[in-house]
Amino acid sequence: MKKKFILALLSTSILTTLLGGCKVSTDTGSNASNGKTETAATETTSEATGNEEEITWMFWDDLNATEDLITKGYKDVIDRFNEEYKGKYHVNVITTNLEEYDTKLNALVAANNTPDVFICNPGPNLTQYVESGVAQDLTDILKNEESEWYGTFNDGIFERITYDDKIMAIPTCFAAACVFYNTEIFDKAGVQPPETFDEMLDVCQKIKDAGYAPISCSASTAWCLSMVAGYLCDREGGPDNLEGITNGTLDWTSESFVKAATDLKELSQYFQETAVGDSNDQATANFYNGEAGMLVQGSWAIGQINGNNPEFEDKCGVFRFPAIEGGADPNRMIVKTDNLVMSSKTEHKDACIALMKEFTNETSQKYVAEIGGKIPVTNVEIDYSKAPKQLSYIQDILKDTTGTFGFYNESLASVEAGDTFDNAMVEVFLGSATPEQAVQKIQDYYDKNVRK
Amino acid sequence: MDKLLRNKKAIAVFIAPAFILFTLVLFIPVIQVVYYSFCEYGSLTKPEFIGFDNYIKLFTEDQTMLIALKNSFFFMIFSVISQQIIGLLLAVLLTNIKKGRNFFKNIYYLPCVLSSAALGLLWAFLFNPKMGINQILATVGIKGPLWLSDVSGFICLPMWVIAFVALWQYVGQNMMLYMAQIMNISTDIYEASYIDGASKVKAFFYVTLPLIKPMMITSISLNCIGSLKFFDLVYNMTQGGPNHNSEVLATHLYQQGFKYFKYGYSSAIAVILLILCLLVTFIINKCIKIDNYEM
Repeated sequence: MKKKFILALLSTSILTTLLGGCKVSTDTGSNASNGKTETAATETTSEATGNEEEITWMFWDDLNATEDLITKGYKDVIDRFNEEYKGKYHVNVITTNLEEYDTKLNALVAANNTPDVFICNPGPNLTQYVESGVAQDLTDILKNEESEWYGTFNDGIFERITYDDKIMAIPTCFAAACVFYNTEIFDKAGVQPPETFDEMLDVCQKIKDAGYAPISCSASTAWCLSMVAGYLCDREGGPDNLEGITNGTLDWTSESFVKAATDLKELSQYFQETAVGDSNDQATANFYNGEAGMLVQGSWAIGQINGNNPEFEDKCGVFRFPAIEGGADPNRMIVKTDNLVMSSKTEHKDACIALMKEFTNETSQKYVAEIGGKIPVTNVEIDYSKAPKQLSYIQDILKDTTGTFGFYNESLASVEAGDTFDNAMVEVFLGSATPEQAVQKIQDYYDKNVRK
Repeated sequence: MDKLLRNKKAIAVFIAPAFILFTLVLFIPVIQVVYYSFCEYGSLTKPEFIGFDNYIKLFTEDQTMLIALKNSFFFMIFSVISQQIIGLLLAVLLTNIKKGRNFFKNIYYLPCVLSSAALGLLWAFLFNPKMGINQILATVGIKGPLWLSDVSGFICLPMWVIAFVALWQYVGQNMMLYMAQIMNISTDIYEASYIDGASKVKAFFYVTLPLIKPMMITSISLNCIGSLKFFDLVYNMTQGGPNHNSEVLATHLYQQGFKYFKYGYSSAIAVILLILCLLVTFIINKCIKIDNYEM
């Protein structure tokens, strides 16, 4: 009898455990949203009451653990939204780190669990969601249903997120890539911000002689190195380079790209010793901790720099990426927007639109500039005396800008083509391929996959 | 009981749950993967049959596949040799001590039950140039290497580091398997060998080793298959980097599937992985011959 009782007890506990494992979590307080299986951490800034329409938003940084000011601003947006629409809408946040964001988002999309709203880079990443019908066409909503909201956006801001006259995303902020420099290290080394590439090499040598790492860059997070490479490609050949590649009229093995890769090889000898293993965050930390003289980054780094080391703001200067003598127009800049994409399968369109409007309203856009140091996407009035100093330096540089272009890896035929470019540039840096071999590899990829 | 087992209906009832589960969660997906491996399939579009194109591309154009194959084989060979020898050694040592056997058994087995993601992160911190081992080395004036970033050599340093961490994590599992088998050997056999003049070392080679051969096959097979489809530590420590130099078959598959949406192509990698696992198991079973002894 006793044996039977123990057996029954054990069987019940096994069954309970098994069935428990099958349940769908509806606990929105810490990890999951209704009926959705998630591969990334889920956060929420306040509790849903259970009566609201619940939506999910996926983002590439941890809203609670971060020191990044832009991310903190996004957390405020979510808080405000959940407070403002209490009893009506509620947003749950899925977060992951930047490096794993695309893979995890793709896994959710493939599993038919696309978040209602998610952040997305322009270029091939967005293109794949547009082409596969994952992204919702927002043209009608913007131009007809919400024309007043549409009117608040700056001119041309939708350019890179418009496909066949269809607006497929909403930008939240705008950033430009520049060279940030440590004025104290520059003073110690007795150098001034360089105007040309040769001067830059000279400055690097002097900073190295003064005992600092001249440039902090991450080759582990390949897009960081690729951004430098992208600038060099554009400085060598101008807009013709990217246009030629896109139109198929120029090969990667052309002199201009070989020269750019050679320049990269030359410049990369001045990267910090641990560049090959440092992540983007570590490379940025080297800079704001005063270990490196320069950092080539987008203006999104301002929030990260000032958030982690507020005292650094006073000694952080900014200059435009140097010109190459005999090269193309040096006043072109790499720019990009952070974009919100609405899932075409969402059943809560109104809630999603309300959330996207919250991201682009006056309070949020003022925060983007005045605290986060990024450029707003709407025509909101900014008090630049409150904004980080680096932002006004960038605005000065932008005044002389004659043209803009996207990240090279985000401007190519596909995500894989972008990665091929990134990897080839990392190979140049590592020395595992010569500049000629590296560009040949990209050309081979294009011949087999893009221009077949 | 025997009567019950002769009843075909009863057999069918007993087998049915496992068979249905096995078919649903394993057999059908495997067939699907094999089919997708012959297709161009982006998960959001319908699969389009392209024959052996994915396989041809894998072996003729994909440089990362060659790196992944090389690294997976290295990882398998290193793991089998190191984990089997050290696991067996630990098992023999622990079965021969009386005091503290359980304590050491638990200590050696502990890493096995910990989450690989947490361990991967922990070791990634320890091998980070700015913290951990290199900082300790710096205090005595030694400049440590870039453990997870150095790409020189036929097998790059990150792969050796990951293989070492895997050894640390999984050696306890092999130890437990061997311990279970060794403890099953009757002490009479050992006593008889000692009476015949065998030393402890001879008893190990002529009594223990032959009698644990069946477990050796199981352990080596598990080790090889586990190493070939190894994913978690690699993904958590290097994510296949720098520049795909520490990529293994499973991380390459993951990247192709989830980063580029190339489900057909990644299915082809999965099929290769499956064939390799079957092949390795077959070779092991063919190579190690078992004699049946009474224990």
